[in-house]
Amino acid sequence: MSANRLLALMLVFSPLSILSIGGGQATIPEIQHQTVIIHGWLTNDEFADLFAIARAAPGPSTLIVALIGWQVAGFLGALVATLAIFVPSSIVMYAASSWWLRNEHSTIRKAIEQGLAPVAVGLIFAGMVIVLRAAHAGLLALATTAAVCILQSTTKISTYGIVGAVAGTYLILFALLHYVA
Amino acid sequence: MPPESDPAVRPALPESDAPVRPAVGLLQLLGTFVRLGAMTFGGSVQSWVHREVVERLGWIDNKAFLSGLTVAQVLPGANPVNIALYVGLKLRGGVGAVVAVVGMVVPAFCVILCLGYFYRGYGHLAVVHFVLAGLAASGVGATLTMGIKVARRLPRNLMTGLIAVSVFFLVGVLRWPMIPVVAVAIPTSIAVAFLGNMRAVHVR
Repeated sequence: MSANRLLALMLVFSPLSILSIGGGQATIPEIQHQTVIIHGWLTNDEFADLFAIARAAPGPSTLIVALIGWQVAGFLGALVATLAIFVPSSIVMYAASSWWLRNEHSTIRKAIEQGLAPVAVGLIFAGMVIVLRAAHAGLLALATTAAVCILQSTTKISTYGIVGAVAGTYLILFALLHYVA
Repeated sequence: MPPESDPAVRPALPESDAPVRPAVGLLQLLGTFVRLGAMTFGGSVQSWVHREVVERLGWIDNKAFLSGLTVAQVLPGANPVNIALYVGLKLRGGVGAVVAVVGMVVPAFCVILCLGYFYRGYGHLAVVHFVLAGLAASGVGATLTMGIKVARRLPRNLMTGLIAVSVFFLVGVLRWPMIPVVAVAIPTSIAVAFLGNMRAVHVR
């Protein structure tokens, strides 16, 4: 029975892996549809909880499938779900990147590279607006965004330093707002 | 120190053509992606990867990163995993790709399972949500930095600007689905670049 559940996890998540064009955000609604509505592995509220955890956790948000796998079939379930969501797409990416890196001097690759650049820039800024809007960003969030951008542009401070400093600042702000006022 | 690595000589070269590809150890690669996978939040992981791998460590140049990032975004799969795979493959071949992906996924996998375990106890605390919102905002800041740096390196011509702005406007502002927009924008943009290159060759 447990083997059946593992197989079901694999059959749900590996096709999603190949279809997850546009990254993790684009896949979340389909993951919800499959796991809540079609398979009934968890309720809508449980899904919302797991989604909040996935957003809070570091790394790719697609890792929500690890939590779903755990719910369905324990640690092995988490492992199988994670492999199912990452391995198929990684094989595609591997093949494409290998071709890409082998053909460094082809004229077609040069045109592809030049052509991809403006699309990438458009997508980067679009992604930013989407994240800000989804988070209902207020003044504090915008100030944080600006401060991080300025720090990164003018200093060589490390990624981990910035993450630590932001977390520390927010902890102090929280304490000030709640215990002093 | 060999004379060709004299820093005084290097600035003459355009940055994207710099032949500098330091040999990166597999352990170094693993360590970097373990830290990135375990410490970066808010759906902006690839911006932190850019910060570390391009800006601070200088393992690959901006142009190579940008084309890899676009391939990572366009192909299926989580962007952080795809970009890790690309960087690992470029630096150390197939083994490097596996090492970078493992570094990106395994610690994050462990952390998320621990969080899942503890969330029931602490998830209702306001301070947790407050700090997470701050981390998400700093992720947006990292994306802004990367976007500005990358945009400044685009060639200054009308078509390039038009394509970048249209993609941003359609996907970011009008919220059109990304796949059809990109399905039109990428072939158009590549064709424009290809024809531009052909013309440049003929004129010469």
